[in-house]
Amino acid sequence: MKLSTRLLNLLTAIGCFAIAGIAVAYFLINEKFEWIPESALELVREKELLERPDAKRCSECHKDIYEAWKESRHSISWISKTYIEASENRSKEKCLACHIPESVTGEKPSPRLDRRDDGIYCVSCHFVNGKMNGPYDLVAPPHPTHRNPDYVNSRFCGSCHQKTFKEWKETGVEDTCQNCHMPRTKDRLTQKFPLSLLHKQKWVGSHKFLHGDLSEKDILMEAEFKNNFFNLSLLNKTVPHKVPTADNGDPRIYLYITFLNAAGEQVDQAKEILAPQQETALPFNKEVRFRYRLFDPVAQAIIVLKYQPAWSKERVVIWEKIIRP
Amino acid sequence: MSSARIFSLFIIFIFFLALPAQAKDMILKEPPQSLSKYYPPESKEPKWIQQMHKMSTHFGGVFVNLKEKDFENVDKHADKLVEEYKKTSEMVPEWEEYFDIKAAEAFAAAAKTHDMAKAGKASGGLGKTCGKCHAEQEVAVWTRFHWPSFRKIKVTDPISEKEMGFDDYMSQVSSSFKGVTVNFGEGQYDRSAKALKTFKSQFMELKSTCSKCHTTDDVKRFYVGEDADTAFAGLAKELNAEKPNPGKFWKNIGLLGKTGCKHCHLTHRTYSFIRETWEQK
Repeated sequence: MKLSTRLLNLLTAIGCFAIAGIAVAYFLINEKFEWIPESALELVREKELLERPDAKRCSECHKDIYEAWKESRHSISWISKTYIEASENRSKEKCLACHIPESVTGEKPSPRLDRRDDGIYCVSCHFVNGKMNGPYDLVAPPHPTHRNPDYVNSRFCGSCHQKTFKEWKETGVEDTCQNCHMPRTKDRLTQKFPLSLLHKQKWVGSHKFLHGDLSEKDILMEAEFKNNFFNLSLLNKTVPHKVPTADNGDPRIYLYITFLNAAGEQVDQAKEILAPQQETALPFNKEVRFRYRLFDPVAQAIIVLKYQPAWSKERVVIWEKIIRP
Repeated sequence: MSSARIFSLFIIFIFFLALPAQAKDMILKEPPQSLSKYYPPESKEPKWIQQMHKMSTHFGGVFVNLKEKDFENVDKHADKLVEEYKKTSEMVPEWEEYFDIKAAEAFAAAAKTHDMAKAGKASGGLGKTCGKCHAEQEVAVWTRFHWPSFRKIKVTDPISEKEMGFDDYMSQVSSSFKGVTVNFGEGQYDRSAKALKTFKSQFMELKSTCSKCHTTDDVKRFYVGEDADTAFAGLAKELNAEKPNPGKFWKNIGLLGKTGCKHCHLTHRTYSFIRETWEQK
């Protein structure tokens, strides 16, 4: 047999063994991890992963989740300019617990002293009582992970988002915080090659913690001119908590009404601020009415609804409408 | 009488005149920077005040247990007091001289005799060291670490939509308030009604401002709550009436003043003035 043929056979055999090895490991890790002896797992454990690593360290394996989190407001909860200004250079004690939580467990957390720049990070939510926790039981050779049903429960988010959690509970809607703000896709938990090959695809929630875009279908409006009054109502039809909502931030919806006469000249204007801190935010499925007295003849009212999140001065138009008598 | 003698008498007179005033004077100096590490954000919790509570508890614990003749706990509290007192004396180097370890030890020794009179007598020496520091520093520490700085608060005026400092904003609120009252006093009800719209909007914006520190709804409502809603509804009703009733109008103005304005000013203004003085340095 030629040398080249022998080499080819050898490589083929190695390849087959490698594939078989991966297949066996895949099967054991994902289906029968109880068969793996603890002593074997101890060999591949990375103990420092259970010593509150920083987010960057987690990203070595969980690249996709890290990148999504990096885009979220959670990742900048300690370093955001808005927070620093609003908390008087972070000196307000009451803000610390939720801007740099040590361990989120469903109760109001305690603040931590280390890795503050990471804000609300991997360890804050997934590392509880010295163990890695998540929505799945995983053998995860570098660090075992324990299933905790709280991760798909709104109460978990309610550790910090207490007012929003209460508002949601009052609506009686079953969709949880995670359903809307952490939509799930089938994906692997790790992207580190070749370890990624050993991971079965699972439902993974988006760690961008999506912030809903509001539109015409979310906030409905009805308006009419009657006698010398202009009556308008708004209805939060789809969001099962107040809109906007916040525990301590100050997001707002601005309602601008401009009244024009037949010549197109402005004769009057009105403005409403719908904000949680002013207790004027729109409740779920409950009409909120406004009434304006008209002193001059009005040919049309231009109504604009704008949203301003807590962390920005920019206002985004939700919708614009024109109403005529 | 020689002029030198008169001058000397004058100086003596001035000295005695000044003495009682000096004894009552309180000078508020900003606390040393080293204290900051015992308060958030440098510390997780307000450790300095917690330390004060610890000492106070052990000090009180000695007397509570002496009264109850629980001598085992008297001794424990006496020892813990000395331990915490020593620890506290090392926390802020600039304040080291306020502490007298010997006085603390003498008190502990007296407490351990289990004789109330002896403990009471020895507590005087120790109490003096606490009292001196409290007299000179307590208000300053509370002002610096337990009260906010209004100068750092920014408010967006709901009318102009411009962001401004808190003082400037309050001037705007005050102006729109005067627009309501002055015009009403002059019988210019339409102008007063227009000013009320502005004033109400600016006043209600304060709810958001309060929420920058007050995270509990009940506390926010203490400043801008049901009374404000009642007063504004009453004012609007009078101004929209064909013939406004001055009695009802001024009653509602009074309600706003006695609740919202007064509640906040009485609580916050004094501390705000002190901080402002420090921040102007």
